[in-house]
Amino acid sequence: MSWTDNVITRALKGAGFTLVLLLEAIGHSTQIWRRRRAIFTQMHVIGTQSIPIASFFMLLIGMVFALQVGIEFARFGQTNLVGLVLVAAMVRELGPWMVGFVLIARVGSSMAAEIGTMQVAEEIDALEVMSINPASFVVMPRIVALSIMGPVLTVIGTLVGIVGGGIVSNLQLGVTWSDYLRFAEDGAEALDIYWGLLKSFVFSIVSGSVACAIGMKTSGGAVGVGRASRNTVVLSLTLVVFFNYLLTSFYRIVKMFVSGVL
Amino acid sequence: MSGSPKLAVQFEGVSKVLAGRQILDKLSFDVREGETFVIIGYSGTGKSVTLRHMVGLMAPDEGSIRVENEEITTMSRRELEIMRRKFGVLFQSGALIAWLTLFENVELPLLEHTKMSRKKRAEIVQEKLEIVNLWQDREKYPAEISGGMKKRAGLARALALDPGIVLYDEPTSGLDPVIANEIDKLINRLKREHHMTQIVVTHDMDSAFEIGDRIGMFYKGSMIQIGTPEEIQSSTIPEVQHFITGGREGAISRRANTAVIRGVAPGMLSQRSLEAIESEAPVATAEQGYVLLSEEEAAAAALQPQEETEGPVDTAGPRNATPSLEPEETDA
Ligand SMILES: Nc1ncnc2c1ncn2[C@@H]1O[C@H](COP(=O)(O)OP(=O)(O)O)[C@@H](O)[C@H]1O
Ligand SMILES: [Mg+2]
Repeated sequence: MSWTDNVITRALKGAGFTLVLLLEAIGHSTQIWRRRRAIFTQMHVIGTQSIPIASFFMLLIGMVFALQVGIEFARFGQTNLVGLVLVAAMVRELGPWMVGFVLIARVGSSMAAEIGTMQVAEEIDALEVMSINPASFVVMPRIVALSIMGPVLTVIGTLVGIVGGGIVSNLQLGVTWSDYLRFAEDGAEALDIYWGLLKSFVFSIVSGSVACAIGMKTSGGAVGVGRASRNTVVLSLTLVVFFNYLLTSFYRIVKMFVSGVL
Repeated sequence: MSGSPKLAVQFEGVSKVLAGRQILDKLSFDVREGETFVIIGYSGTGKSVTLRHMVGLMAPDEGSIRVENEEITTMSRRELEIMRRKFGVLFQSGALIAWLTLFENVELPLLEHTKMSRKKRAEIVQEKLEIVNLWQDREKYPAEISGGMKKRAGLARALALDPGIVLYDEPTSGLDPVIANEIDKLINRLKREHHMTQIVVTHDMDSAFEIGDRIGMFYKGSMIQIGTPEEIQSSTIPEVQHFITGGREGAISRRANTAVIRGVAPGMLSQRSLEAIESEAPVATAEQGYVLLSEEEAAAAALQPQEETEGPVDTAGPRNATPSLEPEETDA
């Protein structure tokens, strides 16, 4: 077997394992009520505790974005339109994936390390031996919590980003708040908002199942746990930008369909 | 032996290759109902792997494994889940769930598999935690307690559903002698009072002789001898003699002993001795046959070739991946 064959086989095996684990976790979502305590704990760790960093991120991204766009628009005397472009970009792109990145960095890596440590410390085996399915006990609560909190954080982050853009427009670009908001309203329609939420839901599921799958496959002590955490970040980021492209392409088709072009 | 005692576990010709190495090689042995069966053998040779096969965490490449006369190698996942309820397993490090308190850890199997009331569960948890003398620590989290306490809590959890068969993976390693004795006493008490079948992996020979009805010496993938403690003690098989004496002629090993054999067979290795091996210090070569070192000698040997650096010996890397420990053939 050549080197590339080997890499491809491993990638396919990994993808297969991840998918099976995700489906198993979804299959166990009948136990959501039973595992509500675990889910709430995870929602707190994943969601509530991520609000400050996600907000800070999005605030500054909104500010910088408004400044950059403002520089260009000023050449045409169209600084008023900053809100429109900013909202469009925030809702459809920046919000979902910047929050996705924050969650991968802050949550995905630690999730992989936590589950990896459980694997290395035989805790996963202990669960199996007690006939407690790790997909139900460990994976499901995390993926459920992440796929709820991902979109919630995206909404919060996007709003904060829009406010950030507004502050800059007002203080540095000389746009009045009422102008900013009037054009901002035109930046996104319902479809855009749904699409943004769909994106962040998909990103949450993808990065959550990658983190859990890599965690479950950890071997080799502390070094292995470190490796699991790192691989999770790299793979999740790659998949998120890839899925983002797919979803945006799909969005374009839907949008054309809705507006009667297709 | 008298009549035909009922068998709790039967291994027949079980083989398993892991990462290209033959870990189990036509392994066969029986464990009788109600007995304490002790498996002894060098570190990293496959004793834990044997236990994992017993509960279906690993499937053999070939061979048959029966638990209470039911073949488990062909069971579906669902059947395995039911079969596993016969077992309580104490893992090497306790394997407690980190985000649950000791109380919640012991309660977990009850919560998952029974419809008991909260009060009833609490009673059972109290009973099990009192057995291992940890009731007063029930609100602590695993990270807040010592290794020995984790093991005892792991045992309480293993006993929660009153299993018929209990597996112990090195229950006394890393414990001080007093606690180790307590564990031995507990194992004997569970046999006496609850008639549990117990299978204990250990390389603590004091413990093996104290608790074992029968002892099996695991070597190169199979049992080279199975017998009563007396039979094992007076074994004429060199590998068995060598193991139980810890390499000291004529002496039954005591708890603190350490033997290092480089290039010949893995011994009972302390961390320092392991470092000596991993640092590739010229301790001995296969041609020299058995060369045994005390812990101090091993440490000294480890330092010799790198006196200039004086840094700590690098022990990073997977714990189990110690290829230098692979037994090699010798002309005994
Ligand atoms: N899942 C696995 N994959 C590959 N090798 C393994 C696996 N589990 C154990 N091994 C290897 O099998 C050998 C025996 O391990 P183990 O049964 O843990 O030894 P011990 O006798 O000390 O309990 C070790 O060399 C270990 O590296
Ligand atoms: Mg072991």
